Amino acid sequence: MAKEIFMPKLSSTMEVGTLLQWFKDEGDSVDVGEPLFEIMTDKINIEVESYEEGILLKKYYAEDEEIPINQVIGYIGEAGETVPEASPGESGAALSELGDSRQPSKHDLQEIEISETASINETGDGDGVPEMEKIRATPAARRVAKEKNVTLSKVPGSGPKGRIHQKDVADFSQAAPAATPLAKKVAGAEGIELQTVTGSGPKGKIYRADVEKMKQPSSASESGSKRVKMEGIRKVVAARMLESKTSAPHVTLTTEVDMSEAIQLRNQLLRPIEKQTGFRLSYTEIILKAAASTLKLHKNLNVSLEGNEIVFHEEINLGLAVAVENGLLVPVVKNADQKGLSDLTAECKRLGTAARSQGLKPEEMSGGTFTISNLGMYAIDAFTPVINQPESAILGVGRINEKPVGHNGVIELRPLMVLSLSFDHRVIDGAPAAAFLTDLKEVLEQPFKLLV
Amino acid sequence: MRELTYLEAVREAMSQEMRENEDVFILGEDIGVYGGAFGVTRGMIEEFGPERIRNTPISEAAISGTAVGAALTGMRPILELQFSDFITIAMDNMVNQAAKIRYMYGGKGKVPMVLRTPAGSGTGAAAQHSQSLEAWMAHVPGLKVVQPSTAYDAKGLLKAAIDDDNPVIFYEHKLCYKTKSDVPEEPYSIPLGKADIKREGSDATIVATAIMVHKALEAAVELEKDGISVEIIDPRTLVPLDTETIVASVKKTSRLIVVHEAVKRGGFGGEIASMIAESEAFDYLDAPIKRLGGKAVPIPYNPDLEKAAVPSVEDIVSAVKETLNRL
Amino acid sequence: MNQLVNLPAGVKGKDLTALLKQMWLIRYFEEKVDEFFAKGMIHGTTHLAVGQEASAVGSIAVLEARDKITSTHRGHGHCIAKGAEANRMMAELFGRTTGYCKGKGGSMHIADVEQGNLGANGIVGGGFSIAAGAALTSQLKKEGYVVLCFFGDGASNEGSFHEALNLASIWKLPVVFICENNQYGMSGPAKEMMNIEDVAKRAEAYGIPGKVVDGNDILDVMSGVGEAVDRARDGEGPSIVEAKTYRWKGHSKSDAKKYRTREEEQEWRAKDPIAKFRSVLIEEGLLTEESADKLKAEANKEIEDSVEFAKNSPMPTLDDLMEDIYA
Repeated sequence: MAKEIFMPKLSSTMEVGTLLQWFKDEGDSVDVGEPLFEIMTDKINIEVESYEEGILLKKYYAEDEEIPINQVIGYIGEAGETVPEASPGESGAALSELGDSRQPSKHDLQEIEISETASINETGDGDGVPEMEKIRATPAARRVAKEKNVTLSKVPGSGPKGRIHQKDVADFSQAAPAATPLAKKVAGAEGIELQTVTGSGPKGKIYRADVEKMKQPSSASESGSKRVKMEGIRKVVAARMLESKTSAPHVTLTTEVDMSEAIQLRNQLLRPIEKQTGFRLSYTEIILKAAASTLKLHKNLNVSLEGNEIVFHEEINLGLAVAVENGLLVPVVKNADQKGLSDLTAECKRLGTAARSQGLKPEEMSGGTFTISNLGMYAIDAFTPVINQPESAILGVGRINEKPVGHNGVIELRPLMVLSLSFDHRVIDGAPAAAFLTDLKEVLEQPFKLLV
Repeated sequence: MRELTYLEAVREAMSQEMRENEDVFILGEDIGVYGGAFGVTRGMIEEFGPERIRNTPISEAAISGTAVGAALTGMRPILELQFSDFITIAMDNMVNQAAKIRYMYGGKGKVPMVLRTPAGSGTGAAAQHSQSLEAWMAHVPGLKVVQPSTAYDAKGLLKAAIDDDNPVIFYEHKLCYKTKSDVPEEPYSIPLGKADIKREGSDATIVATAIMVHKALEAAVELEKDGISVEIIDPRTLVPLDTETIVASVKKTSRLIVVHEAVKRGGFGGEIASMIAESEAFDYLDAPIKRLGGKAVPIPYNPDLEKAAVPSVEDIVSAVKETLNRL
Repeated sequence: MNQLVNLPAGVKGKDLTALLKQMWLIRYFEEKVDEFFAKGMIHGTTHLAVGQEASAVGSIAVLEARDKITSTHRGHGHCIAKGAEANRMMAELFGRTTGYCKGKGGSMHIADVEQGNLGANGIVGGGFSIAAGAALTSQLKKEGYVVLCFFGDGASNEGSFHEALNLASIWKLPVVFICENNQYGMSGPAKEMMNIEDVAKRAEAYGIPGKVVDGNDILDVMSGVGEAVDRARDGEGPSIVEAKTYRWKGHSKSDAKKYRTREEEQEWRAKDPIAKFRSVLIEEGLLTEESADKLKAEANKEIEDSVEFAKNSPMPTLDDLMEDIYA
C-alpha cells in the first residue's frame, strides 16, 4: 500500500509551507531518513526526511508552491502501485476516499501539534519523533468536529483549561466554513467572506483556487506600484504583531539611563573579550546581562499568559530581536542570567549571524521569557516595542546620545540612553514594571552591581 | 385521585397483595402489634393474623434464610429488616443463597422473596442506622434492587417486586416515608427496569435515586431561575437498570450528573457513569460526567454534620452549573 | 421380607436390602469420584462421605416421599439416599448439561428441588434457616411434610445454627436437624472446637429433644431419626439427632490428614457401616452371601454406567453461561 507524503507541521504557528525543492524524482528509490524535499516555513528552511522506504511514485506539487500542512504532496510505495492522479487533499482524510481501511499512521499529523522545541532535524531513530500535545475536547466536540470537518486544534475552547465544547466547534464552523488553511489566509488577505465562497473540495471544502475565483479585480489603477505576496516570515510577523497588539493591552514606560559607567565597562572589557571569543562586546550584551540580572529579582516580569494561567518562568531566556531580510526573527539566549559577558557576546553574535542566514534551529527561537529590541544603531531615542507573545514584556533600547543634564547645580553633558519597557497590563501592573525599570537603570548606571 | 404517603403506599401494596395471594406473608422484627420500626405494617396483624404477619426473634440471619427456604418451597415471603444497615447480618443468605440458588441448580427452583428495608440518613440515627448500602446488593448477580422515591412508585414497584420470581431488595428511604403523591386505589404494577423521567429538560441530565430525586427536583427549580433546564431521571430500579432511558436523555442533553446519597466511592453512580461512557451517548458528552454522593465517612450524629455528609440541593445546583461552565 | 424380630420398630415396612444397595451406591460413587479427582479427570473440589453411608441412608429411609432435605458440602450420600440418579450426579461432576445443575453447580450444589432435595450447600451452616423456611411453608400451607436438615459438627459452631434452631423451636417448625458428627471440621477435631461431648446437648438450650445415635449403625439412625420425624410431623417441633460417625477420606481432595492418626482411622474402618448392616441382613435371613454380593455388583455396575453416561453427555455451550440467573 502506497504511503502518503505530506506537508509536515513543524511549529505551532505553521499552517502552510512552501516547497523549495524536491531531492528525488518520480521513480527514484527512497530510504527511511533520506532527505526527500525542502520546505520553507514561517520560521525556517528545512529538509524533510522520508518516513518510509520505497519508490517515489508521485509528486503533486512543484517547487515554490505553497501547501497547507498535512496536505498529501506525494506517495511512496512499490513500483507499479496506483495512486490518485491529483492530491487527495489532507492526509488521512484521503484514506477513506481511497477505500482504504488502514488506520491513520502515527505520522498523521491532523489534530496534532508538534512542540516547537521538538528536534525536527533528526528523524528516523526515535530522537526526532515529535512531542505531541493532546487537545482537550469533549467527546461531543470531537464528534461534531468530525462531522463538520473542523480541525479541533484551531477551535478556541471555552471550557476550563481551554477545553473545547460542542458549541465551540459549532460556533467555529459556522464562522468559518471548511476550508484549507491556505484558502482561509487568502480569503483573509483579500477580505473575502468564506461563507460566500463555493468550495470545490469534498463536502464543499474551500481551496485557495475557489477563493481566488472570487477575487474582484482591483478598481484603482496603481501604475508603477509593485505587488509582493506576503509569505513566509513576513506573514508570520504580520500575524503575530496583530495578535499581540490586539490581545495584549500594551503600556510603555520609559526612563533615561546615564551610560557613563557602562561605556567605561565596555571599553575595559572590549579587548579581553575579543581576545577570548574573537567577537567585540557591544552594548547589546551589557544591556542583556543587566536585564537578565534585574529580571532575577523581578520574577513577576518573567511571565507569560497561557489560557487562564500566568506562568512564572524559572529560567530567564532572553529573546533578541534581529532584523532579517523581509522580516524579524527573535533568537533566544537561554539562561542569560547564568552567563558571563564573554559567553553572551559569543552567543549573541552567533545567533545574529544564524538569523540573517536563515540558519536558526527551531529550538533556538523558542522558550523565550522576555525580549530585548535594540534600535540604538539608528537615530532613535525611544519607541513603543510590541510584546513578543506569549511573553509579557519587552525592552526597547534607544541610542546613546550626549545630553545636558543638571548635576549638583551644574549643567553637564552626559551620555544618555532611553529604555522603553512595554508590558502586558493583563498580567503585569504598572508599579512592578516601574520598579523593574528603575532597578535596571540603576544597574546600568552602576554596572559593578552586576557582580552582586 | 387520593393522596397517600409513601409509607401508606407500601402498606397498601402489601395488604392488597396478601388479600389476593395466600402465599404472601411478612416476617420481621416487631412487625406485629408494634407495627414495625417505622410503622409500615401497623394494623396489618389485625387483618391478617400472626401467622402471616410473623413477628420474628432478633435474628436477621435466620429470618433471611427462612425466607429463602420458604420461597424455595412455594411461598412468597416479604421480609422486613428494621434498618438496611442490618443487611450485613442477612448478607450471607441474600448473597450466597438467595441470589445463587437458581443458577447453582441449573435453572431449577426459584426464590420469589422481597427484602424490604428502610435506608438512608436524615433521622439522627447515626452511623449504624443510616447507611445506603444498595451498591453492595446491586453488585450481586441474581438479586434485583429497587429504590422507589415516591408513593406512587413505591406501591407499583412493590407489587412488581412481590410478583417477581426472584429475590428483590426493596429500599425505602426513611425521609421518603412521609412524602405524598397521588396513588390509585386499585393495585397496579410498575415493571422493574423502567426508569421514570421525573422532569423533562434540555441542558443537562441528572440521574438521581431515592431521596436525591426530591433534592434534584428542588435544584431544578433553582436552576430554572438561571435559565438552566435539567432533565431528572429516576432509575427506580438499579437492577435491572433502564440504560435505554438514561442513554437517550444524555444523548439529548450532552451532560450527566449522577446523584445518590450512598457514599460516592464505589457507589452505584460510578456504574451509571461508566455505563454512559461505554454507551453510544459517549460521543454526545459535552462535559465530564459529574458524580455526587455521600462523603466517605460514617454518618455522624450531629445534625449539621449529618447534613454535610450527603449531597444537598445546593451541591446539585453547583454541580450542574459546573458541568455547564456556568459557575 | 422385613418379618424381623430383632429389628427396631422404626424400620417396619422398609425395604432394607434396597437401603444396603444405596449404601453401596454411595460408597462406589465416592470412590469413583476420588479416583477421577486423583487422575485429574474432574476439576474443582469435592468432599467425600465414605464411611458416613449409614447416617445419610438411615435418616432419609424414614422419610415419606413428600418430605424434604437440605444437605451440606459433603452431600453426595444425601442425594443418592433421597433418590437421585447416579447418572445425573456423575454428569454434574463432569460438568455436563445432563447433570442435575446442567454443569453449573458441581459437587457442592447438587439439588433436585422437585424431589424434595433442596440442595447441597457450599456455605457451612447455610442449610439451617433454609430448612426452617421450607418447614415454615409446610406449616403455613399445611402440607404435612417434614424437613431433614443435615449438618456437621463444624456447622454447629456457626451463628446461623443458633438463630435457626431458636426460630424453629419457637414456631414449632416440622424440621429435624441431623448432625453427622464425623469428628472433624476440616482439620479441627470436634473435641477441641466445642466444650461439650455431644452436639445433641445443645438442644436443651432451645427446649427441644436432642438424641445421640450410632451413626455407623443404620438401624440405630433410623430408630432415632424416625422418632424425631414423627414428632415433627405431629406438630411438636424440631429435634436434634446426632449421628456419631467418621469420614474415611480427607476433608477434600488435597488433605494429608496430619491432624489424625492412622490408628484412629483403622479403628473406624473396623466399624464399617456397610459391613455391619450387611451382616445384620444376612443374620436376619434377609440376604444370603450370594445375594449380598450380587447387590454389591449391581451397585458397582450402576456407578460404572454413570461414568459412561457422564462421559458421553454434552458439555454446556457458552450460550448457557448467562442463562438461569433470574427466573
